[in-house]
Amino acid sequence: MNKSKTIEIQKARFSESPWIKRGLIGTALFFLGIFLFGPILVVFLNAFGKGIGPYWRALTEPAAISAIRLTLWVAAIVVPCNLIFGLAAAWAVTKFNFFGKKILLALIDLPFTVSPVIAGLIFVLLFGARGIFGPWLQAHNIRILFSVPGIVLATIFVTFPFVAREIIPLMQSQGNEEETAAVILGANGWQTFFRVTLPNIKWGLLYGVILCNARAMGEFGAVSVVSGHIRGLTNTIPLHVEILYNEYNFTAAFAVSSLLMFLAFVTLVVKHWIERRSRKEYCGL
Amino acid sequence: MSIEVQRIVKTFGSFTALNGVNFRIAPGELVALLGPSGSGKTTLLRIIAGLEIPDSGTVLFDGLDVSSRKVKERQVGFVFQHYALFRHMTVFDNVAFGLNVRPRRVRPSQEAIKLKVFELLKLVRLEGMALRYPSQLSGGQRQRVALARALAIEPKMLLLDEPFGSLDAKVRKELRQWIRELHDKLHMTSVFVTHDQEEALEVADRIVVMNEGKIEQIGTPDEVYHHPASPFVSHFLGSVNLFHCRLEGGKILFGNAPADSGKTEGKQEARNATVYIRPHLLDIEYSAPANGNYFRAKVKSINAAGPLVRVELTTEWDALVQVEISHERYQYLGLKKDAAVFAIPKEVKVFTEDYSI
Repeated sequence: MNKSKTIEIQKARFSESPWIKRGLIGTALFFLGIFLFGPILVVFLNAFGKGIGPYWRALTEPAAISAIRLTLWVAAIVVPCNLIFGLAAAWAVTKFNFFGKKILLALIDLPFTVSPVIAGLIFVLLFGARGIFGPWLQAHNIRILFSVPGIVLATIFVTFPFVAREIIPLMQSQGNEEETAAVILGANGWQTFFRVTLPNIKWGLLYGVILCNARAMGEFGAVSVVSGHIRGLTNTIPLHVEILYNEYNFTAAFAVSSLLMFLAFVTLVVKHWIERRSRKEYCGL
Repeated sequence: MSIEVQRIVKTFGSFTALNGVNFRIAPGELVALLGPSGSGKTTLLRIIAGLEIPDSGTVLFDGLDVSSRKVKERQVGFVFQHYALFRHMTVFDNVAFGLNVRPRRVRPSQEAIKLKVFELLKLVRLEGMALRYPSQLSGGQRQRVALARALAIEPKMLLLDEPFGSLDAKVRKELRQWIRELHDKLHMTSVFVTHDQEEALEVADRIVVMNEGKIEQIGTPDEVYHHPASPFVSHFLGSVNLFHCRLEGGKILFGNAPADSGKTEGKQEARNATVYIRPHLLDIEYSAPANGNYFRAKVKSINAAGPLVRVELTTEWDALVQVEISHERYQYLGLKKDAAVFAIPKEVKVFTEDYSI
């Protein structure tokens, strides 16, 4: 009897009972269903609920087109900015030792830890009429808040960790021996960067850019604080959705939302593709 | 091209990596920098290459001070311990890299580069591997690619950092001989860093033995092995038995038994000394030799696997002594465990205390 007991205990230790397995899978699926598939379904059902005509009209009305255009513009400015910033920060952090390196690393994470609303408020406090630079800006007739520059600044702030965070671990794990080798072989700084460093981090970089882009297009909180919600002028897609929704224009609100949904799908597909490509390349090593 | 370093000092924070190092390497020499980890050998190599800047001291190539020259202007071929091959490039592109990044006016034509690369790949016996990626090569092959890549820029000298460090024992031995042959063919001044004394003894023309940022001895493999200049060298190059004893009137007192020290070189007055005897320079007898050059011991263990028989002895004063004798000698003696024997030093190295460091 004693012996059979030990065997039972061993069994229990090494294989879970089927009920635990089912329970875990069930819980995971239940949550996914409620919080992911359900909402997606709701968005599309509402968007196309009154047919394709109203859907199309919601997307092509001037305010919507203006919002789409602004969102694309913001992303087009923000993503390259953060690409350059991310590369510079990752390069500095991984290839050099300098005073304040740890502080820089911590600061890179700051936008992830700060609520986007606070991020927006920072810019209001800096550039608003009663902000630190407000009077000077007004005197020189420069508008930052409630116009495109403010939206761009807030979005840059919120999205700047994406690229840097993605490539810093990658560059850290690769070290700088290859770069040193390139320099000994006579390469200058640019040649070293474009021929050695960049090819080694390209997939990580692309991945970071994709995530950065998705967030830049979808950012609501920070942008909401600084944009001023001027319809047709300073509304991005997420802000436009909110306005439509508040006006009880549900079909239009969900129609425009579906654009962001499509963006999410595209991001996922590209992300998946990048992961497969990079795994193929690095696993060969 | 000759290399000379003068009074090189390098510190990292509070750690002194190099503390006043001087030596000269003649053109065409193959020199090993040998020492334990932390002895400063790799730092010295990197200083010669220009990858580290010394706190003080100068580096001269052919008598010219190159201390202020940048890495790329020094024209050195450098092989990294972990090869540092460009992982996203083929073997061909790796080797061609140094030529491809040259400014346009001095860059060879694509045709010429191709010829050069294949010539080098032939030299390192990797002709068929041009289109492979580094990940598809074995360790030894990667090492040879790294070498071909370093040679492509027609360097004035070749610097190798632990070139065999990350290879398995068999490949390491092959590559070692091959490097020696290659050096004899190219006659390029070469310096390699190693912590493996066997490697240094086998490959190098001369060995620079380093310890704690200083040079302990410079000499041919024969010199450093047979005439170590310090206890450290004696200890680091091969296994050695160490005795703390008294030196009196040309005799060594092992415990309380006197033995002839052989060479005393005028160190006549009594003093404490450290005596080093290599295991293969000890013989075993059942009877005491007439000249009194012996000490008593008991056989503790015998290991007959390998080219020599390793016998461990316990001395009268309870120290362990390693002895290596040939299989013939072992069979002739019919040595058994616990047998009482006389150990006879054939050659000893004495370091008195004022002499050692």
